[in-house]
Amino acid sequence: MLAVPFSLLLFVSNGTLATSGNTMDGGWQFNPAASLLALAVLSGPLTWLVGRWRPGLAWVAGALLAGGGLTTTIVAIATGDSGVDVAWAPSWGLRLAFDLDGLARLYALLATGIGLLVVIYARRYVPLHLHHQGRDEREAGPFFAAFLLFMGAMLGLVMARDLIALFVFWDVTALASYLLISYDRQDANARASALMALLVTGISALGLLVAALLIEDRYGTFDLGAVIAAAEAGDHSLGLTTGILIVSAALAKSAQLPFHFWLPRAMAAPTPVSAYLHSAAMVAAGVFLIGRFYPLLATEPRLLDGLAVVGAGSMAISGVLATTRADIKQVLAYSTISQYGYVVLMLGLGGQGHYGAVAAVFYVVAHALAKTALFLTAGAVTEATGERRLDRMGGLWRSMPALAAGSGAAAAGLAALPLTVGFFKDELFFAAALERGPAAVAVAVGGATLTIVYIGRFWGGIFLGPRRATADPVPLALVGPVVVLGAAILLTGVVPGPVARLAEAAAAVSLREAMTVSPAYHLDTRPENLMALASFVLGGTLLATRRFWSPAAMGLARIGQRFGPARAYGRGLDGFERFSGAMRRVEVRDLRGRVATILLPAGVLVIIALIATPTRDAFSFGTIQRGDAGLVMILIATCGAGIASTLPRDHLSMALTVSGVGYCLAVTYALFGAPDVALVAVLVETMFALLFLGMLSLLPRRVLAEEAAEPENHHHGRRDAALAVIAGVIALVVSWSALSRPTFRESVAVDYIELAPDAHARDVVTVILTDFRGLDTMGEITVIGIAMLGIAGLLRRGRLR
Amino acid sequence: MSPSSRYQVDAAQSRIDPSVTTVLTQTVARLLLVPIFMVALAILVKGYADVGDGFSAGVVAALGVLLQDVAFGYRAIGRLTIVRLAPYGALAGALIALGVTFVPVLTGEPLLRHRPGAGEPVAHLGALELITPVLFDIGVFLVVFGFAVGVIGMIARMHPRPIGPSRGTGATGGDEG
Amino acid sequence: MTLLFAVAVAILFGSGAYLLLKHDLVRVVIGMVLISNAANLFIISAGLSRGQAPIYPLADGEPVSDPLVQAMTLTAIVISFGVAALLLALVYRVYTSHLSLDLDELAEADERDEAVRDLATLTGRQR
Repeated sequence: MLAVPFSLLLFVSNGTLATSGNTMDGGWQFNPAASLLALAVLSGPLTWLVGRWRPGLAWVAGALLAGGGLTTTIVAIATGDSGVDVAWAPSWGLRLAFDLDGLARLYALLATGIGLLVVIYARRYVPLHLHHQGRDEREAGPFFAAFLLFMGAMLGLVMARDLIALFVFWDVTALASYLLISYDRQDANARASALMALLVTGISALGLLVAALLIEDRYGTFDLGAVIAAAEAGDHSLGLTTGILIVSAALAKSAQLPFHFWLPRAMAAPTPVSAYLHSAAMVAAGVFLIGRFYPLLATEPRLLDGLAVVGAGSMAISGVLATTRADIKQVLAYSTISQYGYVVLMLGLGGQGHYGAVAAVFYVVAHALAKTALFLTAGAVTEATGERRLDRMGGLWRSMPALAAGSGAAAAGLAALPLTVGFFKDELFFAAALERGPAAVAVAVGGATLTIVYIGRFWGGIFLGPRRATADPVPLALVGPVVVLGAAILLTGVVPGPVARLAEAAAAVSLREAMTVSPAYHLDTRPENLMALASFVLGGTLLATRRFWSPAAMGLARIGQRFGPARAYGRGLDGFERFSGAMRRVEVRDLRGRVATILLPAGVLVIIALIATPTRDAFSFGTIQRGDAGLVMILIATCGAGIASTLPRDHLSMALTVSGVGYCLAVTYALFGAPDVALVAVLVETMFALLFLGMLSLLPRRVLAEEAAEPENHHHGRRDAALAVIAGVIALVVSWSALSRPTFRESVAVDYIELAPDAHARDVVTVILTDFRGLDTMGEITVIGIAMLGIAGLLRRGRLR
Repeated sequence: MSPSSRYQVDAAQSRIDPSVTTVLTQTVARLLLVPIFMVALAILVKGYADVGDGFSAGVVAALGVLLQDVAFGYRAIGRLTIVRLAPYGALAGALIALGVTFVPVLTGEPLLRHRPGAGEPVAHLGALELITPVLFDIGVFLVVFGFAVGVIGMIARMHPRPIGPSRGTGATGGDEG
Repeated sequence: MTLLFAVAVAILFGSGAYLLLKHDLVRVVIGMVLISNAANLFIISAGLSRGQAPIYPLADGEPVSDPLVQAMTLTAIVISFGVAALLLALVYRVYTSHLSLDLDELAEADERDEAVRDLATLTGRQR
């Protein structure tokens, strides 16, 4: 895996770890960035090893690693910025540069904190899940390994300052999410969903790589800090193409229109995965990327406007869809798309007022807390009742009051009710919208209303109303994390200061200037409060009148299914499969077909090249000198032997004629003034002939006779001959033109001949082989070694019985 | 070299027509083995001064082994010690070549920096020059010889065993390679 | 002379290509060997000078054969030997697993295998 070289690098260059926050003078000092980086690289592999050793202990390793990460992050929040900067590939300008700045700290806190809670939750959930599916409990080990890999990738991603390292970690998150979504690998739907997530986020990630290269081309460095500094100095703007590539990668990861369709499908994953994916990892990574590149993106105002439009669209459309879903996890999935639509919208709005960026970060934190709790609730409820549909459950608050209370707080947080941290997220959101004008205000109120509607429907559908399902008792480990999160939401709802400080620090990185927000309750008629009030009233009304408008929403959902981008994805995938199948039928089915498909296009290309290039002086007949008679005759003999070797029916004569070709060539080399080559050629030819005969003697005579006797299809025979003539003519034209026009009159060979005595040699060829071009020889013996290993493998398995 | 009696037994067991492998060819083949190796050695040692190098020496030596194969049949070949050791020879040769290539890197010099350098005096041992390129050539020799003889040995071992009391002689030569 | 070399290369290459298109795997191997030979001949004939062997002491005034292409050809010959041996082993391996050396039969067997696999996937999906 990737981790190994990384950790090796870290190990090797231990002495040169440069710290930007602390100094190394006073001996060893704790560097949070370095330890988080080590965690990022090692978490997955370590958990995997523990899981291999004792599957039951994998979760302990996971919890310890996540807890260590959380502690480190908290220490880092207390101590301030730190970093790691190690040479990686200096000649390409690549450094392993990682910064634990405000933005990184916030997302690291989410990744490790929520990661820890989810691991604790999964400790009970995963064995239950495996039990329900009749699978071995030992399969929990790989789950935690993939989960910690995911967490580690997030940590690396948020700290990366080097664009290539950023891309690597970005891709690792996609891979880890693939492993996690397809965890129920016996389920074809889960596999297809995982592939969809991987393709959508992976292909867009390629855009990120291209963007990194474009940035390097424009600014001359892969170091994001230097790039941003250069952009601020007004040297260059980012360029629209690069910006679109970055934003597309981010939007695909954050499941915004039109890439949103993978996220609801990803609900095939076990619930803890969904919880993490939606709150602290994957989806958050997209928004993080926008935050990370924000100073660059801000140089292209059109990009920010585009972000605002995409965000508003995602928010509205998936908000409506969320009100129509029956499956509880689907409701949450669409709500995530919608909520991140808010965030993207705010980031887009930030272009003018700068208030949006800090609001967006605040929003991410509040949403992460609430959404994790809601997903964990959904998982617990499904485990307890065996149901996934909203219309089959209800009234569960009586049998699981703690869960109802914890998730109630979370739902209230998402719906932005007062006394929860969610209230402030909407307050900041409204403030950002107010900066931008009435249209933004209308969109904001609409979005908040939709949130209240679908979250109210979700929570009310599960816990209120008539009781429709029986529930088993829920294990404490499944309820605990929800209650903790609910408490956190309420606590930060009363004391929002710490979250606000975190958000300020993170936004300061995005905006490149210090920001202060002071969320507080104001009991007056300021516009924010009025907007909140309006959304409460509207949302409550809509919830009460659901049955009147839900058919319309359903119709909208159907239209979306009919014409949405998911359909284009499916078509594209089918098309690729058909294409590759067709290619396979043409090319791979039959060796002869494959040879022909190589020879024919090659020939066509050569002919085109020949037509396109001027032919004057391209061909020279060369001169026949005195004493070349022998060479001429042996070449003619070679040609004869070559043609003769195609004629015989039986394999023995064929072996002899082909050896004849080899010996004729050896004589040619000898006459050429190449005694070394001639010697080797004779020997190798002999060797090959004997080996060939030895191999023939292994094959039963009957089979060989059949092959020899079988009449060649007449039509095929003619086709083959025609192809062979074409190949020969092309080879003639190419080699003749190449031999006629040596590009350099002065060959390096002259130097070799002159330098040979300095290398203590008299045979120039040998000295070229061992000294001047010794690496060629090295490559050659490598090939020989590989061939030998291949032969050994083939023969050992191929013993006839 | 193995005692001649063993060859006789093997030839009798082999599936090769006895009229082809006469006693004369067998004797000649055995007699030729040592001179062939001498020639190979000479080619290797004199490679820097005259025609030939590690490749040709390796193939010459391998041909010497192959000659035994022609004379005594494939069955006998699989048992020769040198055939069984050949793959390890190839490995050793590859290691030697790798060493000559990469050891200079450890001291910060370019790949394949040979010693002694240009113009420096060279110790001679007869025709053999004591310089690192020759060591490299020996590595190449071992790889080529090991490859050719190893493949011969593998093919030899593929041949069906004769049915008879001597079946359990354990002559398949292990599973090296 | 240039033309003659080119013709020899072309004939060897054409013969090799002809054998490559045969349905007998042994012939395919022979075809590869011929094509390697064509390549070797091409490399050595690309030398810029022709004359005495490049081994000291060199006679004054006479041209020396280009040693670079010789070294290249040597390398190429040994590599093509290794590849040919590998191909032979491959042929033998194909025979032991399919009991046939005929490409048509091999392709048919491949198709049969695939049909069986497809059927297995289908029934697996229905289950």
